Amino acid sequence: MKVKILQWHAVGSWTWDAQDETCGICRMAFDGCCPDCKFPGDDCPLIWGVCNHAYHLHCILKWVNSQNSTPHCPMCRREWQFKA
Amino acid sequence: MTSSSVPSRKVLSKIASNRLQKEVMEWQTNPPAGFKYKVNDSLQRWIIEVTGAPGTLYTGETYQLQVDFPEHYPMEAPQVIFIPPAPLHPHIYSNGHICLDILYDSWSPAMTVSSVCISILSMLSSSPAKERPADNDRYVRNCRNGRSPKETRWWFHDDKV
Repeated sequence: MKVKILQWHAVGSWTWDAQDETCGICRMAFDGCCPDCKFPGDDCPLIWGVCNHAYHLHCILKWVNSQNSTPHCPMCRREWQFKA
Repeated sequence: MTSSSVPSRKVLSKIASNRLQKEVMEWQTNPPAGFKYKVNDSLQRWIIEVTGAPGTLYTGETYQLQVDFPEHYPMEAPQVIFIPPAPLHPHIYSNGHICLDILYDSWSPAMTVSSVCISILSMLSSSPAKERPADNDRYVRNCRNGRSPKETRWWFHDDKV
């Protein structure tokens, strides 16, 4: 049997490859965005620490910038360093 | 003279009110054992009733916690105090201030009202004696202008209770 394809629709989906579903700081879904953004995706990216905990970039920056001394990971309290 | 017992009533930031709404929902489906919180109009001040755990010095006693959230919660810790009469405990002052590191230096934005409540109940439950901190009178006198416990320079020296 020969099939002739006349038309097709492609549907793509994406998801962040984080172990958790929600950001430990704002508690919003990783596949959504932080409360200050409107759209998920590249405009509101996730970022990992060397301890492998992930947060919305905007959320962890707010935390890191609010600390006077060495910032630590909100989840495991290890010194926070961005994973390269 | 300025009083800070009433934390500045700046409106909550977007991230703060968003997160608190989630915490309210989470509390309603899964409240921490021993605690009662009646949702009211104010997201910014929660009054929570805590009941002493069975088998501890505070069995069946009830106390009230007042939790005030700052504009930039959860980057900043909430202010948590007991509304007097506060439980008799070596780390709880008669004005309701609580000497507990996670409420000050060791706060982390991953903590929630619920996890703070559990820490407080655990602190109560491990109490060896119903007594006030040794420096209670001096501390309370220093706070009489309505100073917030968040302005106290705490030192945490006792990890047993």
